[in-house]
Amino acid sequence: MSAHDSNLVRITDVEERLVHWVLAASCLFCLISGIGLMYHSWSIIPTLLGGHYAAKMMHIYSGVIFTGMLFYSAYLWKKDCRFEESDLQWVLKAGGYLWPVENLPPVYKYNAGQKAFFWCLIGCGAVISVTGFLMWLWNPVSVPIIIGRLSYMLHAGAVVVLAAFIMIHIYLGTAGNPGTVSAMITGYVTRAWCETHCPRWYAERSKKPEQAA
Amino acid sequence: MAEYIKLIDVTKCTGCRGCQVACKQWNSLPAEKTMFTGSLQNPKDLSYNTWTLIRYDEVVKDGRLNWVMRHDACLHCDWPACAKACPSPGALVKTDEGAVVHNAKYCIGCKACIAACPFDIPRNNPELEKMAKCTLCYDRITEGKKPACVTACPTGCLAFGPKEEMIEKAHKRAEEVGGLIYPNNPKYETHVLYILPAGIQASDLQHTNPNPSMPLSVLLWKNLFKPFTLIGIGAVAGGAFLHYLIKGPHKVHEKKEGGE
Repeated sequence: MSAHDSNLVRITDVEERLVHWVLAASCLFCLISGIGLMYHSWSIIPTLLGGHYAAKMMHIYSGVIFTGMLFYSAYLWKKDCRFEESDLQWVLKAGGYLWPVENLPPVYKYNAGQKAFFWCLIGCGAVISVTGFLMWLWNPVSVPIIIGRLSYMLHAGAVVVLAAFIMIHIYLGTAGNPGTVSAMITGYVTRAWCETHCPRWYAERSKKPEQAA
Repeated sequence: MAEYIKLIDVTKCTGCRGCQVACKQWNSLPAEKTMFTGSLQNPKDLSYNTWTLIRYDEVVKDGRLNWVMRHDACLHCDWPACAKACPSPGALVKTDEGAVVHNAKYCIGCKACIAACPFDIPRNNPELEKMAKCTLCYDRITEGKKPACVTACPTGCLAFGPKEEMIEKAHKRAEEVGGLIYPNNPKYETHVLYILPAGIQASDLQHTNPNPSMPLSVLLWKNLFKPFTLIGIGAVAGGAFLHYLIKGPHKVHEKKEGGE
C-alpha cells in the first residue's frame, strides 16, 4: 500500500493513529489488570504481572497514560464527532451496520454510532480517570469517606458501560466491517470504502485534492 | 471452631486505657507522639499504629452530665464490608472464629477497605502502603487465650467468649443497667457488642454508626457492576459472533472488481 496507489485514500494521519493506539493500549491494559484485581478468581492476571501490588501500580501508571491520552483524543476528535441533525436519521435507520439499509443519510467522517462511542469514551473515561486519581491519592484522614466510597463504585460502574462499548468498537472496526482496520494501521482505506462509510467527507475531499492528504 | 464475641460493658469502663496499652504491647505497635486536644482521649483517633482507643464523650441528658468512656476498635463484622471490597486474596479474611484479620504480606495499600468499612476502622500507612486494624488478637484466641485488651481490663468491662454465651450475657446485663445493645442490626451482625449506659444512644457518642449495614456503594460495586463487567463484555462478544454468522460482515463493494 502506498500513497501513490490511486485506489487508496488517506483517512487518518500519524498523530491520530498514535493517539488511538496509545489510548487503546493503556485502556486495554487497565481493563485487563483491573479485571484481575476485581475478580479474585482471575488472580492469575496479577500473578502474571508480578503480584497484586505490582498489578495495582501498573494499573495506576497505565491509568495516568490513559487520562493523558483521553484529553488528547478529546482535543483531536471533538470537532469530527460533533453531533448533527442527520445523525438522528442515521440512528433511526440503525446505520446499516447490523443489516442492509437503504437511503441512509450520507455520513461526513464519522457516523452517529462512532460519535456515540467517542462521547461515551470521553464521558466514562473522565469518570474513570477522576475516580481513579481519587482512589490513588485519596487521604482518608482528611477527605470524607463518602468520596472514597463513591470513587470505587463509580469507577467500576463506568467500566461496565465502557468495556461493553469497546467490544462493539473492536468488532465493528475489524471483522464486522472488512477494510476498516487499515484506517488505524496504515492510515489508508479504499475509495469504495469511503463512498460507503464517509461519502460526504470523501466528496468534499475529492473536490479539492490539493488540500487533502 | 466456635464463634466468639467480645463484649464491651461501657458502664464498667473507667477509662484507664489498660486495653489501649495491652493492644500496643501484644501487637508490637510503637507509641505515637501525642498532643492535648482538650480531652482525655489520647491519641485523638485510631491510626495505623493504634488499633484500640478509649473515646471520651461528655453527653448531657436531661440536664445530667454523662461521662462515657468507650473502648473503640474493629467490630469484626459477620459479613465484613472491608473483606468484600478487598482486591487482594488473603489480605483481609474473616476467620471461623469471627475475627476479621488482615495480613500485611498480601495488602497492596489500595484503601478499598477504608472506604468500605461502615465503622471507619481500618487505617492506612501511606509510606508503607499497608492498612492495619484490630485482629481480635487472632494469634491469641486460636491458642485458647483471650484478646490482650480483655486480659488487661481490670474492671470487667471487657469480656470474651463463645457467641451464644456472650449474647445471653449482653441481654442480661443490658436489662440490668437499663441500657441499649450496640450495634443492634440483626441483618448486620458483629463479633463485638457494646452495652451502653442507661439513657445513652449510639448516636450520642463519637465515631459510632447507629444503623450499620453493608454500604450500598459496596453492594452496587461488588454485586452488580463486578459481574456485569464480564457479562457485558461476554454478551457483546457473543452478539458480535452471532451477527457475523447470521448477517455477515458489512462488505464494501469494490467497483473495479464488479462485485455481486
